[in-house]
Amino acid sequence: MNKDIILKVDNLRTYFNTDDGVVKAVDGVSFELSKGETLGIVGESGSGKSVSNLSVMNLIPSPPGKIMGGTVTFDGRNIFDLNEEELRNIRGGKIGMIFQDPMTSLNPFLRISTQMIETIVLHKKVSKDDARKRAIEMLELVGIPKAEKRVDDYPHQFSGGMRQRVMIAMALSCDPEILIADEPTSALDVTIQAQILELIQDLSKKLGTAVIMITHDLGVVAGMCDNVNVMYAGRVVEKGTNDEIFADPKHPYTRGLIKSVPRLDRPKQKKLYSIEGQPPNVIDLPECCPFYPRCEHAMDKCKTSYPPAVKLDGSREVSCWLYEEKTSGK
Amino acid sequence: METTVNNELNQHVKGVSLWQDAWRRLRKNKMAMFGLYTIIFYAVISLSAPILPIYSYKQQVLGHQFLRPSFKPAGQLIYEKKSKFLHAMAAKEGRTELTAKENQELADLKESLATEKKKLLSGEEVLVNNRVYILGTDSLGRDLLSRIIYGGQVSIMIGLIGALASMLIGVVLGALSGYIGGRFDTLMMRFVDIMYSLPYILLVIIFMAIFGRNIANLFFALAIVSWLTVARVVRGQVLSLKNSEFIEAARSSGAGTARIVFRHLIPNTSGVIIVYTTLRVPAFIMLEAFLSFLGLGVQAPFASWGVLIQDGVYAMTTYPWLLWFPAAAMTLFLFSMNFLGDGLRDALDPQSKNKL
Amino acid sequence: MSKYILRRALGLIPTMFIIVTICFFFIRVAPGGPFSSEKKLPPQILQNIQKKYNMDKPLMIQYVKYLTDVARGDLGPSYKYKDYDVNFFIKESLPKSMLLGALALLLAVILGIGTGMISSLRQNSFWDYLSMSVAVIGISVPLFVIAPVFMYIFAMKLQWLPVAGWLDDGGVKMLILPVVSLSAPYFATVARLSRASFLESLRSDYIRTAKAKGLKTSVIMFKHVLKGASLPVVSYLGPAFSGIITGSIVIEQIFRIPGLGRHFVQSAFNRDYTMIMGTVIVYSLILVIMNFLVDVLYGYLDPRISYK
Repeated sequence: MNKDIILKVDNLRTYFNTDDGVVKAVDGVSFELSKGETLGIVGESGSGKSVSNLSVMNLIPSPPGKIMGGTVTFDGRNIFDLNEEELRNIRGGKIGMIFQDPMTSLNPFLRISTQMIETIVLHKKVSKDDARKRAIEMLELVGIPKAEKRVDDYPHQFSGGMRQRVMIAMALSCDPEILIADEPTSALDVTIQAQILELIQDLSKKLGTAVIMITHDLGVVAGMCDNVNVMYAGRVVEKGTNDEIFADPKHPYTRGLIKSVPRLDRPKQKKLYSIEGQPPNVIDLPECCPFYPRCEHAMDKCKTSYPPAVKLDGSREVSCWLYEEKTSGK
Repeated sequence: METTVNNELNQHVKGVSLWQDAWRRLRKNKMAMFGLYTIIFYAVISLSAPILPIYSYKQQVLGHQFLRPSFKPAGQLIYEKKSKFLHAMAAKEGRTELTAKENQELADLKESLATEKKKLLSGEEVLVNNRVYILGTDSLGRDLLSRIIYGGQVSIMIGLIGALASMLIGVVLGALSGYIGGRFDTLMMRFVDIMYSLPYILLVIIFMAIFGRNIANLFFALAIVSWLTVARVVRGQVLSLKNSEFIEAARSSGAGTARIVFRHLIPNTSGVIIVYTTLRVPAFIMLEAFLSFLGLGVQAPFASWGVLIQDGVYAMTTYPWLLWFPAAAMTLFLFSMNFLGDGLRDALDPQSKNKL
Repeated sequence: MSKYILRRALGLIPTMFIIVTICFFFIRVAPGGPFSSEKKLPPQILQNIQKKYNMDKPLMIQYVKYLTDVARGDLGPSYKYKDYDVNFFIKESLPKSMLLGALALLLAVILGIGTGMISSLRQNSFWDYLSMSVAVIGISVPLFVIAPVFMYIFAMKLQWLPVAGWLDDGGVKMLILPVVSLSAPYFATVARLSRASFLESLRSDYIRTAKAKGLKTSVIMFKHVLKGASLPVVSYLGPAFSGIITGSIVIEQIFRIPGLGRHFVQSAFNRDYTMIMGTVIVYSLILVIMNFLVDVLYGYLDPRISYK
């Protein structure tokens, strides 16, 4: 499994300078992605999951954002060492991206055809006519009816779900090795959400594309991911396979997350479970486990230092003081 | 009140009201604060003009025309000018020394300058050549400093009253139009649209030319054309607020139309109104100056910055200070108002940065 | 879309009708007739004059007559210069004012958008601060200060350019100072507007998409940002036109250009009623047509505008 790793993120740190102080949006995130794998990154809003993936593409708006350290290895090279042109070849060519809000992510002033063709011409080095054929082909693939005609429409002539299909078609049009999907369904109707997820899953299988699925919705992860990273306050707190995480969550935060998903197959509960408290303000966070104020297992240690990542059986990793002894015992 | 609470992680959590938050943001904006202090300075000078140790802005002194800016008394300037002139004449004729007659002439001049007394408008008799004109004098021998200060009074007053009047008319009509809606709203907006397509400044010019050039007419002319934008902005704000929950709540508790408009809608649009009014003040000052520049504004003996600049433009070739000082005084004020307005906009409405 | 344009074009007619009507009655209620300043005329002569200008007829008849004349493009005889038609003065002066205004606006828009674009790309750089400071000066300093200052520096002190006059007096050089002065405030506003809207556009989701697609900065700027970001500038063009008209009055006064603005001010002082109305109608017509063109341009640039 290890030999097929195509993307390796190591100790990534991305900070934002704001008027109120330094926001450590991503503070030491590491993960790996293998060929064809679907990796889920789960966390509340503000946990740094989107920022970490924008950093992978070196797309952090700067200022105020700044990548402070770490490496992102793709194709054997650190992305932060590449020059502008090499970087552009990766963006859109080797790594495609789709975003949360399909209503604003397409340029409202340009035709779909213009927006798709420019990408294909750029990365596939084909003629405009071939690129147009390819664009129509992709639109058909993502299920846009009458693609031949609709390719010349403007974004506002499509519904939200259809626009997200267009985004997917555009992101996959250059056969990328990785597709980063940043909350691709959060802005859509529930009925459309399932269709879009299914589409992403189908296409990634068909085209052999690895997918990073960023979401706050555990249901999305459970349905389609092979592996899961749980993020909290700018760090990954737990890693594991889909089955491991759902069957036996280790970190108290993960447990809370899973418990708070409403379930139809269980007897009716009196009240939905929710994690008490608010996610922390990541400005000038003191040295501690940022989850301890909301944690039912909080210890004195949690208030003074951040727990290191502990490897458990298999591929699992968890950052929590509850599991410290087990490793030191081994 | 600003409340400081620590959350579980011992981080400060501040609760601040909109106005405190705005003031905090404004204080951080150096240009806006510079503008604010400058405006306060202008206001203090204008208000205290009658008790400041300056000459009358109306006092014409014969013989003191076009004196250059200087800390020396007028008599000395006149003497130096004459002496320089005589020396230049002498040099032209190839002499290095003045003739006895010329020296006598100078001595006489010095004598008469030192003793010359004049009765001023205020009734007192003074040694007129001891007057010091820091910023020089104009074509009628009037003190430029005093004229700039009193002209500023007029200009600022016109700016303030114009902005306030247009705000009042605009806010009331705009709020009513937005709140009542229906045919009233349609008619109002139709009217505003037509007024917009008129080149209104031309109408103001015609109005002033035909009905006479006095300050009252000027106010009237400015007020009738300037409420349009305010009305439109306020109407838009009211429309978007109208269906919000707190208005629903007020309505369901039996509040009448007038009460809803004046107690709920207008206070909630106050941010936009304040910003807009601040930015209107310099616009009005410019408009008045524009009219005065064409000779259609404030009439003598009153002055406004526009009048002074117009005088300055005509005298610019030989007496450039007559343009520089009034222009600088006015420009600095306009600058400050614009900076403050921009700062207020950013402070009160951080989302809609750079709009309007 | 062509239907929409036609409908909007037809909508100009009632607007112009209202403007002419307002002007007509506004001036008729004014105190003091055009001849009141002159020496007392013998009744017979006064009657003849009034007859010549149709002033002996009832107001409504005068109004209808004036409307039909204007509709045919005849603005009537001048009250002050009795042997000339208003049309004559306008034909002679309008092209000068139009050239001045068009050049100034063109300069302001091109330079302004360029400056705004560069400033937004190099936000908070020295260039950004410099150009935005210049823009604030351009907005705060009135035209009748800028123009004399330019004149003083470049014409009187440095003597690079002529002081005043028009093309016949010294060729294209005559144009530089008036055009640059007139464009300064609008350049400043366009620069600030376009900087803000470029910045907003650069921060938008669709530009993030464009970057994620690997497009070059130049392609992003000219293909993806420019169109959307120029919309606020386009909507500003309407107010800019009316500002240019007012500004040209000042500029023509200062640089002694025999344009429409000088005639307008002169006729306002002379109470030359037909001349006043004529100039206002011409100005309004230009303004209304320009606003119409701006609307059409806006619709062309923004595909989301629907033509119902």
